[in-house]
Amino acid sequence: MAAPTVKVARGWSGLALGARRAVLRLPGLTQVRWSRYGPEYQDPQIDKEYYRKPLAQLTEEETYERELRKTQVIKAAPATKTSSVFEDPVISKFTNMMMKGGNKILARSLMTQTLEAVKRKQFEKYHAASAEEQATIERNPYTIFHQALKNCEPVIGLVPILKGGHFYQVPVPLADRRRRFLAMKWMIAECREKKPRRMLMPEKLSQELLEAFHSRGPVIKRKHDMHKMAEANRALAHYRWW
Amino acid sequence: MATPSLRGRLARLGNPRKPILKPNKPLILADHVGERRREKGEATCITEMSIMMACWKQNEFRDEACKKEIRDFFDCSSRAEAARKMRSIQEDLGELGSLPPKKLNKLLQRFPNKPHVS
Repeated sequence: MAAPTVKVARGWSGLALGARRAVLRLPGLTQVRWSRYGPEYQDPQIDKEYYRKPLAQLTEEETYERELRKTQVIKAAPATKTSSVFEDPVISKFTNMMMKGGNKILARSLMTQTLEAVKRKQFEKYHAASAEEQATIERNPYTIFHQALKNCEPVIGLVPILKGGHFYQVPVPLADRRRRFLAMKWMIAECREKKPRRMLMPEKLSQELLEAFHSRGPVIKRKHDMHKMAEANRALAHYRWW
Repeated sequence: MATPSLRGRLARLGNPRKPILKPNKPLILADHVGERRREKGEATCITEMSIMMACWKQNEFRDEACKKEIRDFFDCSSRAEAARKMRSIQEDLGELGSLPPKKLNKLLQRFPNKPHVS
């Protein structure tokens, strides 16, 4: 093939309005490697509150922005992003990270089963506890999930920096999205690798989430190990140049 | 100060003396400039990081005991990140010092050096 690195699809592709022109034109083949939207396409506004605001209350900037959006072309919203009250971006991201081979149905069912398992465990504890303890037990699985992931986020990260022919692990501040990603990745990796053979993922995940919620457990330990390594290497912090 | 003279410095047939300069490329103005040298950066937020780590050492790495230090560290890192972004945008626009090399090269392409007289 003339262009081995270009992923192509066979068949006729009618040139849709605003679709980006393929740089390399092979007869009968369409380039499908990147997004088909050109740079003029805007992201869709999914938030219902944005549209519920009465027109009288809008500032000048907001009215200008609304008028502008009427003239702009907008991308189609992905099927996973809804304006439902039950939509949670953290849960969606976690589900996507758990997904294997594009099997979103399975990942989503595992996620719902996990939340259900968390809720059941907490309710059992609630009914078995005395009145004073009942006030302290958290039963909403979403708050438990968010708090557990927040507890697992590392504060500082390590980056390998090449100096004098050797790689040194240098402590470095991390961006918010990197910290959230690491927390979710550690949680999923822990549940996949250290699972007893016949235990299913929802059960193991619910166990780990509850332990992380109480700041115990292996994921929290991994976070502490990262902090300890950073503390041990604090002298190397000057190897950073940013 | 005037440009130092080039008379009799190069090895040429008409020049009886030993060459003073031996340039490896011809001494002709090119239609592009070289890239900007990357400035030597230094690590930011070292003090906040060391305070936070001292607090960790005292409190056995518990995060609840060191909330204030951790918050200061996060504030410092977000400020440093914003400053860095501002600086890179400014460099591209060319507000500090001269134009960025890419824009200069585009300009020089449009108005190249004339080796001929016409």
